[in-house]
Amino acid sequence: MSGFDFDVIQRSVWYLFRDGMTFTVTLTLMAMAGGIVFGTLLAMMRLSSFAPLAWVAGAYVNLMRSVPLVLVIFWFFFLVPYIGAWIIGEKTPIKVGAFWSAVITFTMFEAAYYCEIMRAGIQSIARGQVAASLALGLDYWQTMGHIVLPQAFRNMVPVLLTQTIILFQDTSLVYVISATDFLGAAAKVANRDYRLVEMYSFVALVYFVISFAASYYVRSLQGRIAVIR
Amino acid sequence: MNYNWNWGILLQPEPGGTGSYLQYLLVGLGWTLATALAAWVIALAIGLVVGTLRTTPLKWIVRLGNAYVEVFRNVPLIVQMFLWFFVAPELLPTGLGDWIKQMPPPWGSYVPAVLCLGIYTSVRVAEQVRAGIQSLPRGQGMAGTALGLRLPQTYRYVILPMVMRIMLPPLTSEFMNIIKNSSVALTIGLLELTGRARAMQEFSFQVFEAFAAATVIYLLTNLAVVLGMRALERRIRVPGLISAQGAGSH
Amino acid sequence: MISIQNVSKWFGTFPVLTDCSTEVQKGQVVVVCGPSGSGKSTLIKCVNALEPFQKGRILVDGISVGDPRTDLPKLRSRVGMVFQHFELFPHLTVTENLTLAQIKVLNRQKDAAVAKGRKLLERVGLAEHRDKFPGNLSGGQQQRVAIARALCMDPIAMLFDEPTSALDPEMINEVLDVMVELAQEGMTMMVVTHEMGFARKVAHRVIFMDGGRIVEDASKDEFFGTPRSERAQLFLSKILQH
Repeated sequence: MSGFDFDVIQRSVWYLFRDGMTFTVTLTLMAMAGGIVFGTLLAMMRLSSFAPLAWVAGAYVNLMRSVPLVLVIFWFFFLVPYIGAWIIGEKTPIKVGAFWSAVITFTMFEAAYYCEIMRAGIQSIARGQVAASLALGLDYWQTMGHIVLPQAFRNMVPVLLTQTIILFQDTSLVYVISATDFLGAAAKVANRDYRLVEMYSFVALVYFVISFAASYYVRSLQGRIAVIR
Repeated sequence: MNYNWNWGILLQPEPGGTGSYLQYLLVGLGWTLATALAAWVIALAIGLVVGTLRTTPLKWIVRLGNAYVEVFRNVPLIVQMFLWFFVAPELLPTGLGDWIKQMPPPWGSYVPAVLCLGIYTSVRVAEQVRAGIQSLPRGQGMAGTALGLRLPQTYRYVILPMVMRIMLPPLTSEFMNIIKNSSVALTIGLLELTGRARAMQEFSFQVFEAFAAATVIYLLTNLAVVLGMRALERRIRVPGLISAQGAGSH
Repeated sequence: MISIQNVSKWFGTFPVLTDCSTEVQKGQVVVVCGPSGSGKSTLIKCVNALEPFQKGRILVDGISVGDPRTDLPKLRSRVGMVFQHFELFPHLTVTENLTLAQIKVLNRQKDAAVAKGRKLLERVGLAEHRDKFPGNLSGGQQQRVAIARALCMDPIAMLFDEPTSALDPEMINEVLDVMVELAQEGMTMMVVTHEMGFARKVAHRVIFMDGGRIVEDASKDEFFGTPRSERAQLFLSKILQH
């Protein structure tokens, strides 16, 4: 086995982080924001007393959780151009790059998981809180917006963050649509310079350090966030 | 809109000559399940051991178990796949490394995929086992000790049998995860279900038919697993023992 | 002010309230008592539609509570409610608890709402706690804030659902004192409670419920003097031992 070539890592580090890691981090943050918003909406739908709404939301969540993420990535990669064309009224599928396809994919996919987290959070808020809010004359939306969701969200922050760390790792799967995320960038260098061992080891190390540090931070956060009762 | 729907494509022969596209996909399902089951055996074996060890009073064993969990939990699955497939053969002594690299497909992809998936999932199983053991009332272990059982015996005859039953629901969802995660092996050349759906899409241009068929097959497989596990649960149920809640990330 | 007419309620097939009828005139204080499970909390929650009911009618200031056309949030904003477990909003300060509904439901300006909140906080003796969170207050203090919160809405009537049952004994009186003052100022009140001392002091009428029915509905003097039903007598004899 030839010596471990640290040089290739050093040479490509700038490219890896400027191009690859920015892709990964941007995708993660956008999918987190979109996913939490859509997920909270899904949670409210699942908990609503209007049965068809609850059923649709439940079916969506179960579907997303039953199918491999790789398959979902392919679905949206091929589907979004067609749907985009249908919306605009074009005849041929519009061009959507790997990045936006990934953003849509991960938002829609992670929403199913964020939904279950928010649902547990909402259900953990004592019914008396809702009763007190209604008794003051606040309506359903005001009650959700001012009383239930702020408390539910605050209680679930550690779990939401943990899910985001998982999302961060999952973004590496955009490899299957040849996107240039952190792993994709490393793969490009690895194949060009025939240095797979060095590049992939480096990628593993970086992911490890970031994920480990992030989950350590989330654990330390756990004690400080709970709303004083 | 310019898309030719053709559900009949599933019954048409696939270019490799092995049969219809549907059969092609179903063989993929076979590989998915073969990978998942083999990995599951590894995951259970290692996960049980690691999870149990993390509940023992021996500090250094607990720390070792924690390190194991942290290492394999913080690296994405696809990266681990690449490490097993591309990097591991290079790190072994040349003789062994070369032999591995020469393994004919599909074994060249299958073996690393199984090892990778098995170890990746063993971490999650270990977590479930640890949570299950810690959820048992402490009196159980004490009762075992009071009867004169030694620590390994207490685990084997008292704690673990109970824990297995508590763990059945979360383990069901882990098994379903392993089936889903096997799709990542397509990146190292394993032609399981998702990989074949992608290939079908490339050969036939019938994008939606290909992926829809794969989706339906996954859903039916899930259903079968859920029903199977429920039947198993009924047969081994202990009256009065409440099973643990599985709150799950995927 | 509050008119309950032949109200019945079922949970599935289980009858929770059966043919309950009573009136609370303006300025009256009516105490509702009875054993656990008698339906008294449920009845009072029907008055502001927190619990639905299947049969009968409830009118609050002439407005029918069960009518699907009634604007419920508006109605509820005019009827104050105090809960057994206080139910202050833990993520908001005391002042924010007092002003939230004033601003969002009554559309008051923030300054006016804060000023009103402050005035009522002084009235219940807790002015210096206005920027604290509920978690920093004792049970008795929280309940007094809850009363102030309901009063900030300028209600025409107040409903109390066992307001002192979750309090440590030494804090019960501080809450009852506030309620007595309120009664003496002429507030229309319907109070579910076990505190017979309070009833004797300010109630005009006492209602005794058992098994979902109103068994006794008498003026205070009649109730404590010679109640007609055996069940009420039994209840009184047990409860007045303390």
